[in-house]
Amino acid sequence: MRAVLATYSRELRAYFFSPLAYVVLFFFLVVNGFIFSVIVTSLSDPRSPAGPPLAYFFGGFFFWMLLLLITPVLTMRLISEELRSGSVEVLMTAPITEGQVVAGKYLAVLTFYASLWAPTLAYAGILAYNAKVDWGPVAAGYLGIFCIGALLLAIGTFASAMTKSQLVAAFVTIALVLLLFVLGLIDNLFTSEIVKQTLGYVNLVGHMEDFAKGIVDTRRLVFYVSASWFFLFLASRALEDKKWR
Amino acid sequence: MIEAQNLTRRYGDFTAVHGISFSVGEGEIVGMLGPNGAGKTTTIRMITGFLPPTSGQVTVAGKDLFESPREARRQLGYLPENVALYGEMRVEEYLAYRARLEGLGRSEVRAAIGEAAERCLLADVRHQVIGTLSKGYRQRVGLATAILHKPSTLVLDEPTVGLDPKQIIAIRELIRDLGRERTLLLSTHILPEVELLCNRVMIIDRGRIVAEGTPEALRERSVGNPTLRLTLKGAPPDAAETLGSIDGVLSVHPGAGEGAWVVEYTAGSDPREEIFRAAVARGWVLLEMARERTTLEDIFVRLTTHDRAGEPEEVPS
Repeated sequence: MRAVLATYSRELRAYFFSPLAYVVLFFFLVVNGFIFSVIVTSLSDPRSPAGPPLAYFFGGFFFWMLLLLITPVLTMRLISEELRSGSVEVLMTAPITEGQVVAGKYLAVLTFYASLWAPTLAYAGILAYNAKVDWGPVAAGYLGIFCIGALLLAIGTFASAMTKSQLVAAFVTIALVLLLFVLGLIDNLFTSEIVKQTLGYVNLVGHMEDFAKGIVDTRRLVFYVSASWFFLFLASRALEDKKWR
Repeated sequence: MIEAQNLTRRYGDFTAVHGISFSVGEGEIVGMLGPNGAGKTTTIRMITGFLPPTSGQVTVAGKDLFESPREARRQLGYLPENVALYGEMRVEEYLAYRARLEGLGRSEVRAAIGEAAERCLLADVRHQVIGTLSKGYRQRVGLATAILHKPSTLVLDEPTVGLDPKQIIAIRELIRDLGRERTLLLSTHILPEVELLCNRVMIIDRGRIVAEGTPEALRERSVGNPTLRLTLKGAPPDAAETLGSIDGVLSVHPGAGEGAWVVEYTAGSDPREEIFRAAVARGWVLLEMARERTTLEDIFVRLTTHDRAGEPEEVPS
């Protein structure tokens, strides 16, 4: 546990000591702030349909674009950099397992991801100041953001453990995440109910819409936890595999 | 205590290390020598647990490296050939991180950092960012992380590379000091360093141990005849005949430089006195006479130089 904590705090510190963190944080907030203001402005138009503004904010087109861009930027360095610089040698000869390295690093990137979203809580605050806010869907929406982020970051961690090139790690992450999106969106191409249902399990966009409506389905939570676990397991295996070649 | 038994490592079809066995005892400093590509780094990586061997076994301080890797690694301090550090961290932060990784408790961390920084001459850069340090300082940070958790066994791959002469002396002193109470395996290219520091030497070539023993024993083992280096002023070219007729002298060749001669003689004889008398009798001025000692360098070169043409090449296909 101590080893995981040591890796976690080192990694988290590395995020906040690099200019990347602030660049990402800055643009993330600029883009999100802009989206939020567009949503609020257009909803203030009496002709627009009624609905909670944050439901549009979670799960919109820009939301997914942001996630797709941010995931590889946050994760590509994670393990690739250790492999490239060779610091993996002193790391893996310390009394720490591959699984603990992956766990520490993953928890750090997940924390950083959560801290990216934290300032957007202010939007809910702004809405609550001006109107009545139904807090259930807001909480569910943030839970959804966390779950989906957890899965995408696990995929990114896995990609980063496979290669010493950050660029390759970033591309693999984008490719895997896009594949996952597509799998969830092509269910209407099939007539078989079983295929439709199976694809429904990985329909991230559908899941996020539900979360934004305040629907928290335990099957979804199980999916995100187990899928994230699976990719982290692969990541630790990929790191272990580096030894054998 | 390090014990390696029958370590073999293959990379695809290429066998980098062929069944190496050796042991390093407590309080012993063992030097590992070998040309580039001999399998030194592969061997070291197997001993430190970074590379699993294709076959064979390693125990560190009595703990099997593969059955109880955590206990074994806790006993091990390792300075790799390429010291890779996290450039954005300060020296003290990095050492604290490593100490926690090694499982030291909160109260032990501070003392451990203080001691390691002191011993590795890092006291004046403790608060500096690692990315701004010179190569020599980074090397010392690497060394400090190796000794931070007071391991009973140390493996150092080229510890004095990139240091200035003054620092080299200080680090060698530190290594000698550490070797007294610990098990220390040292890999180096610097042959005088081996003679200065090591109780025992292993010469590795093409994945095998080709010679092992104390530096003195290795020197004695060397074949070839001892030689004398002379400088004679006023000796005619036919002085070779005069010198050649002295008891024990096998051959005489002109050396490099004016009046220089190289005299080969049989081991066990000492023709120096006769040479002196011969020179005096003929009125030659003897400016210099020195015995050439076989150095580890000669042994190293002889053991690791191959007639490539006569042997099958061992390269990955």
